[in-house]
Amino acid sequence: MSAIQLRNLTKTFGDFTALKTMDLEIADGEFMALLGPSGCGKSTTMNMIAGMEEPTSGKILFGERDMAGVPMGRRGVGFVFQNYAIFTHMTVRQNLAYGPRMRGAAKAEIDRRVGAIAELLQLTPLLERNADRLSVNILQRVAIGRSAIMEPAIFLLDEPLSNVDAAFRAVMRTELKQLQRQFRQTMVYVTHDQLEAMTMADRIAVMDRGVLQQVGTPLEVYNNPANVFVARFIGAPGMNLLRGRPAESDRGLVVDLGPLGITPPLPDELAATLRGARGDVLYGFRPEQVALAQDGRGLAMPVTFVERIGARTIVHLGQGEGAVKAVFDNDVGLSIGQTAVVAPLSSSVRVFDAASGLAVRVG
Amino acid sequence: MGAARAKPAPRDEGARLGFRLTLPAQILVLFISAFPLLMQLYISVTDWSPLSGIGWWNAWEMWNSFANYTDLAADARFWSALKRTAIVMIVCVPAEFLLGLALATLFADDFPGKRIFYSILLMPMMVVPAVAGYMFFMLFQSGGPVNDILSTVTGTRVTIAWLSDPALALIAVMIADIWQWTPLMFLILLAGLVGVPEDQIKAATLLGANPWQRFVTIVLPKMKTIIIIALAIRVIENFKIFDTLYIMTGGGPGVATETISVYIYKVTTQDLIWGYVAAIALAILIVLSIVAVFAMKRMARARQVAA
Repeated sequence: MSAIQLRNLTKTFGDFTALKTMDLEIADGEFMALLGPSGCGKSTTMNMIAGMEEPTSGKILFGERDMAGVPMGRRGVGFVFQNYAIFTHMTVRQNLAYGPRMRGAAKAEIDRRVGAIAELLQLTPLLERNADRLSVNILQRVAIGRSAIMEPAIFLLDEPLSNVDAAFRAVMRTELKQLQRQFRQTMVYVTHDQLEAMTMADRIAVMDRGVLQQVGTPLEVYNNPANVFVARFIGAPGMNLLRGRPAESDRGLVVDLGPLGITPPLPDELAATLRGARGDVLYGFRPEQVALAQDGRGLAMPVTFVERIGARTIVHLGQGEGAVKAVFDNDVGLSIGQTAVVAPLSSSVRVFDAASGLAVRVG
Repeated sequence: MGAARAKPAPRDEGARLGFRLTLPAQILVLFISAFPLLMQLYISVTDWSPLSGIGWWNAWEMWNSFANYTDLAADARFWSALKRTAIVMIVCVPAEFLLGLALATLFADDFPGKRIFYSILLMPMMVVPAVAGYMFFMLFQSGGPVNDILSTVTGTRVTIAWLSDPALALIAVMIADIWQWTPLMFLILLAGLVGVPEDQIKAATLLGANPWQRFVTIVLPKMKTIIIIALAIRVIENFKIFDTLYIMTGGGPGVATETISVYIYKVTTQDLIWGYVAAIALAILIVLSIVAVFAMKRMARARQVAA
């Protein structure tokens, strides 16, 4: 019942296409993150699921039921707004009781449900407090409780952590994830923060400029980005991409990066797929999956900058088109001006077609 | 040096500087408000009139030991003027409020031609009240446009003597007041309405509230402060209703539309008993002050809750 299907969903505002033929299936009880930079269409998608906006074309189904023309008050979705939209002129109790009260539930019934939800969210001691002077984590719980009391099958959260400072965000991430385990509802979570998406979501839908780029588990999206956008967007810093051309060498198929030299040989499956392909490719590897080559076999590049951030050291290498970053767990003792020879771990190498930007899939 | 002299605490220093800086303004305010008030109070306990041949500052010679106030309590014309004013207020303020609120709700959304209607709607407020009075004086003539329209609608010749019929004159006056001051109510309420947070309205909708429930549970409580301001302004202004009314009816026929302001005006210019006028004016000031204090208290409470 509470699975969501988006079929061919498109939304235009005048000449502007906010969302282009999006297809997505969200399973019952799944925590799906819609991730992308601002303007990617994630909020538009969410608003259409909630019924705040009508799709220009395409369908939204909850279970088997087409939601076209169903007004937002009748969709049975819980919605947590970016700023929580708590009714500030009411008490916490009145906020929680709002939904049942508007549906004409009996007084005793409302009290019972408010009591239960407040207990679950640890809001019981705060019930009589005015809602205009509450801290953010309490506001968040009230916002969730106010929706949860309606027992919606679907929960939509619109960047609920974007107004919170970084330290607190970690606490609230954990809290949210625990809440979802308690409620077991389908959750759609809109965010531009990949850390939130990676840590909380069962699956992530990465979007850019109104187009769905990739759907997958956090690790799938991280390890096997479908295209150049996802590769660059996921990860901090994103994947290194170097332009080059496949070439045969005595050690196997490599990528000729021009002035940067040639890469270490590609893994066998990738080499097999790529052999005989024409045109430029982008040679990609994660900054975290790089080793300093002791034998001198790797990419020799000048160190241009070193960021030491305690647990990790980020080394910037090369310049312009050929710039890459490497992340090491410890201070590797490199300094600006030195030349480092880096070798991407063979298993982490991904290759993208330079013309289409799509990943070259193995097999 | 000044080691023995204790330095004033910085806060004292700041307060004293503040006092010195605001002193000229304070004196000005004193002259503007306190002086006339005291003068009025002084004259109100005398029989002084401009015809009495002595300056107002010598009015104590005509001390009449609060006779003005006892007269006022027994002045039937005063009480009926007060009652008429109250009627105007009780009819006009709610009418202006409801019309203004309805229009503001309408104008909170977009519709074609909104800007033109908006300008048209605000025009009555811009008209000089005396001119509005003249307009309605003409409209309500027995051979005037209002009767013409009624004739066309009903199909029979209507010749209602609006302004010379004691029962209808007050109605005509109230229609003019509503016409002129609904726009102000509309403007203030519209400002309040667009200030209601949209996401809270959306949240209410998602929780299943219908438009009426949203209006009652979200919109109205959020607008409480501004509604109190709008009502207070109109109650006080309505209490002082004069120019439009005076031009339309002159308080007549007879005393049928004689409100408190008209009464004061007549006593001042025709009877010239200024000691008595001062007493009436003070009595009204007290009534209006009570209204204002009440409104401000409600406002403070509303702000505390709504913030």
